[in-house]
Amino acid sequence: MASPHRSGGDSMNDRSDVIGAVSGPGDNPNEFLFVTPEDQAVKTGEFITYTVTVEGESRDVFARVTNREQIRGLPDTFLADPAVAPETIAATLGVPHDDTDLYQLTAMVIGYYDTMMSTFANPRQLPQTGTPLRIAPAEQLEAVLPNLGVASTTADVAQFDGLAHTGWLLNRPAGEVDIRMPIDEFASTHLAILASTGSGKSYTGGVLIEEMMLPSSRAALLIFDPHGEYDTLSEMQTHSAFEGDDGYQPDVVYFDEDRLRIRISELELGDIMAILDNPSDRMQERLAGGWRAMQNKDSRTWGVDELVEQMYTMYGEDDSSVGGLEWRLRRSIQRNELFQPDANVPLDEIVAAGQCTVLNMETLDSRNQQLIATVLLRRIYRERLNAMRGRESDIECPVFALFEEGHRFAPGSGSAPSIGILRTITSEGRKFGFGIGIISQRPSKIDQDVLSQCGTQITMKIRNPTDQEAIKKSVEAAGEDVLRELPGLTPGQAVLSGDAMNTPALVQIRKRLTDHGAGSLSATEQWSETYDRQQSQPVRSEPADFGGGESTGFEEL
Amino acid sequence: MTIETQPEDTHVDNCLALGSIVSSNSHLDYTVEIYKETDRERAPQIDEREFGQPVFIQKSVSGEPYLVMGVIYNTQLVDPDQGRTGTRLAQSDQGQFTPGYIEERTTLAGVALLGTARVTEDGLLTDPSHELPRWTLEVDDIVCQCPDELTKTFHMNDEGDLQFAYADRILNVGGPLGSDVLLSIIGRLRSMIADTDKNQRVLDVVEQNITWQAHTDRGVIR
Ligand SMILES: Nc1ncnc2c1ncn2[C@@H]1O[C@H](COP(=O)(O)OP(=O)(O)O)[C@@H](O)[C@H]1O
Ligand SMILES: [Mg+2]
Repeated sequence: MASPHRSGGDSMNDRSDVIGAVSGPGDNPNEFLFVTPEDQAVKTGEFITYTVTVEGESRDVFARVTNREQIRGLPDTFLADPAVAPETIAATLGVPHDDTDLYQLTAMVIGYYDTMMSTFANPRQLPQTGTPLRIAPAEQLEAVLPNLGVASTTADVAQFDGLAHTGWLLNRPAGEVDIRMPIDEFASTHLAILASTGSGKSYTGGVLIEEMMLPSSRAALLIFDPHGEYDTLSEMQTHSAFEGDDGYQPDVVYFDEDRLRIRISELELGDIMAILDNPSDRMQERLAGGWRAMQNKDSRTWGVDELVEQMYTMYGEDDSSVGGLEWRLRRSIQRNELFQPDANVPLDEIVAAGQCTVLNMETLDSRNQQLIATVLLRRIYRERLNAMRGRESDIECPVFALFEEGHRFAPGSGSAPSIGILRTITSEGRKFGFGIGIISQRPSKIDQDVLSQCGTQITMKIRNPTDQEAIKKSVEAAGEDVLRELPGLTPGQAVLSGDAMNTPALVQIRKRLTDHGAGSLSATEQWSETYDRQQSQPVRSEPADFGGGESTGFEEL
Repeated sequence: MTIETQPEDTHVDNCLALGSIVSSNSHLDYTVEIYKETDRERAPQIDEREFGQPVFIQKSVSGEPYLVMGVIYNTQLVDPDQGRTGTRLAQSDQGQFTPGYIEERTTLAGVALLGTARVTEDGLLTDPSHELPRWTLEVDDIVCQCPDELTKTFHMNDEGDLQFAYADRILNVGGPLGSDVLLSIIGRLRSMIADTDKNQRVLDVVEQNITWQAHTDRGVIR
């Protein structure tokens, strides 16, 4: 037999890096099958390429491996005795068993990178049987997987500004194919980080915050932190990685409970209605009248006293509905320190370029968390609107607001005062430079309008079928092959998809530069600490019971 | 003392001759005429040439002594007085039983080749190979009974692991009885190795596989 001819030097004919060959079309129009020997450990999720001629031009087409099946291997009957290795049986019977396994893999065509359109274009033809396949080169993947708009697949994207180095392709060795998402993209068309508890959502949020606060980006960030998980971000103020040539260093500002205030006049009638305990129709009507009257006054610093007085003036001193309203207003608003006639959160203190503001809402109940978010989002949105329309504005730069427990602020069912403004911002915000990030462990509990407007998705381990279903519905780019991966991911592994990506990719999220603040609490540690504390203060007095005065009477979400 | 007789039994030159080759059906499949009392002073007993009996044929290749290993996978009785139409081991149109060649009532045995081995200076089997033997045997080559000790050595590799690498060929050559030949050899090997030998469990799985396959092939299970 003649030895196989190989023309020397021509890289097209060098098959040393070929991992397999196309064996035929797959079930779907965009799928093809190929066969690899065992030693080519091509995993699902791997990116491969082949060359085809499209309209006279030679194109490198990218495809993603979506399935891997053994088509030749030792029979299961060789496994009859767990104590005897199947290879031993194979050896005994003279069956070849070293490197003889064959695998059939399914691959989904992504397309070739169209430099004119700066995205993937479908070649509309499957590779022919026998077409050699290669592992896609790392530099090319770095350039074409995220939506970076590169003009050439050989662009050195590590030099680009405004990118968030999020991690690297899971199927490759650490750092071989770095994934850098364009910050402008996910910060303007909104972001969702979805995963079960403990899968690394907050950690990933931290990574993105770090990237956005680097000297090359200097974002204006606002973090709604219901669990006080982001206290370690302050390390950015001294960490050398965040030091700019011009002396820049991020500002990290914390707003705790005692600085989180809502000016009563900044509430809307609907907010008040939501806070009040079951007001009657008559009460609602009286309140609406009183509220309107207060809006027409010059003063913006009125409180419950002034509102009640106004209503008594309008409806008579002995109006029983106003009486009922007074009792409710005093109980739910006046006795809640969150609401003040004059104090509020000054926008210029929480929003500034190069500043990351963490609103630590740990001690607030969820209704109060919703209310503070509602009022702040409305105010910021109004300022952004003003800025974009050339009017005077307190906020001159785009803002990105990140919500932990996103389903609490934009729930799919039940009433949350914040839902309206979140829907508005997620559908309109991109025009006004106001981006939202939603972090949640219950995607199925998030308002579908809000979730489906989150253009970029970072999805991590999710087992719950209802939540997987919610992701399938709202995450356009999430194909079946990607969804299949979700239950098997481990903490720190994520599927990146949506506007910031040209095609979904399975990524290992990088390590944080600052510490992660949300380590799970050790119960045993806390018990012994508490015990020690109790031992050292033997005389304890019961705290005085002030009744339910501080409670707003609303159930937690 | 009986120790001295021990090496004699396994010396390839001292093994019992069972018969001689009269024809072949293929490269791996030979027909052997079993010796009768009239041929030899020590003719093989019925249990010495039974179904599944391992055998060998001594062959000298380029001056080196070799063994071609085989197994009795079929037997057949021939009675020349019954006329020339008597049944034959091989396909009917192959006239290998020429008139006058077999003149009396004879037992024929089908021998399938398993592999080869070399012979040590002490006349023992060494370097077993389960690869297809390349050499052709000849008419009148003497087929000997393979003693258990040599059978065992033939089925062990250097690491002391059992090997049956000829299994696929035997299943082919042996036809419907192919699996039974293998099972018979397995049975023999079992009795040659200790009950606690790790190879017993390997034999279990191999035996199970062959039995299962045989039952499937024969339509008992599907
Ligand atoms: N990219 C990562 N690299 C290393 N460890 C990680 C990564 N992501 C998550 N982890 C680990 O997983 C734990 C849980 O992450 P966390 O973000 O707190 O989960 P979640 O917010 O989803 O409940 C973290 O404490 C950290 O130890
Ligand atoms: Mg978390």
